[in-house]
Amino acid sequence: MTKRLLAAALVAGFLAACVASALQFALTSPLILAAEKYETAEAIAPTHHAFANPLIVLAHAGHDPGGEPQWQPAPGLPRLAFTALATLVSGVGYALLLGAVLVAAGREVTPSEALKFGIGGFLAASLAPAVGLPPELPGIAAAALESRQLWWVATATATAAGLYLVAIRRGPVAIGLGLVLIAAPHVWGAPHGPEDISAMPPVYAAQFAARSLAIGFAFWAVLGLAFGWAWGAVAGPNGVTRRSEVAA
Amino acid sequence: MVAITRSLSPALVGERLSAVLLAATLGVGLLFVSGFAPVVALHNAAHDWRHSANFPCH
Repeated sequence: MTKRLLAAALVAGFLAACVASALQFALTSPLILAAEKYETAEAIAPTHHAFANPLIVLAHAGHDPGGEPQWQPAPGLPRLAFTALATLVSGVGYALLLGAVLVAAGREVTPSEALKFGIGGFLAASLAPAVGLPPELPGIAAAALESRQLWWVATATATAAGLYLVAIRRGPVAIGLGLVLIAAPHVWGAPHGPEDISAMPPVYAAQFAARSLAIGFAFWAVLGLAFGWAWGAVAGPNGVTRRSEVAA
Repeated sequence: MVAITRSLSPALVGERLSAVLLAATLGVGLLFVSGFAPVVALHNAAHDWRHSANFPCH
């Protein structure tokens, strides 16, 4: 079963990364490049935010004209290739988690069942964190990185657990607890940075947020469908027996 | 009856438990490397994906 899970996750992660990479190249990468022109202009004449939050300077050491030059992929094809590689690594990572949850929940793994869990993944890892921390272009001031990462992980985990309670455990207590878990991170509130006035046209940020979520949905839908398909495809001769054992 | 079936069906023992733990650990590790690792080279390599996937990024 371990080999089957790993193999299905590799296939699903690869297919989802192919789709998500193509969508990124068409929809979000051009916006990031456009936003970086404004970011570079701000780096030359840094605002007080850049000094107030040392993480902004650290993370952008590659762009910082005064700092030690850090490695970054060359513009053009290498940058797109590294974007695709990062998408693949995340894709396999998410597919492994999706598979772990499917197997742990004791579900019969079919494309339609895996798609449902994939949509749950989209809700937990894309939509819920985006409610508090909308997808941002480079150059937009934000709160300290660690606090946002912590809130992101807590929100994704709480939403996933809440969805599990509401959609799978059911029962009045489970549904109540699940809804509390889903709402809690937003009641607590996401960390927010100073409200920055950027020279970047607002339409860039709006387009980026919408496109990022659309890519997230396509990514998770393909991930779920492909995992369900690959799970059946790599079953081998005794795959049916194993599946019935799991369902029994 | 339903409760008994549910409690037996997802029982995590033996091969299933090890498969779930291995996949979950590997998955979290890969997500950390591609989405959260603070190493500047990793951040720069994964930069555009981190923004598109809405991982908090710089």
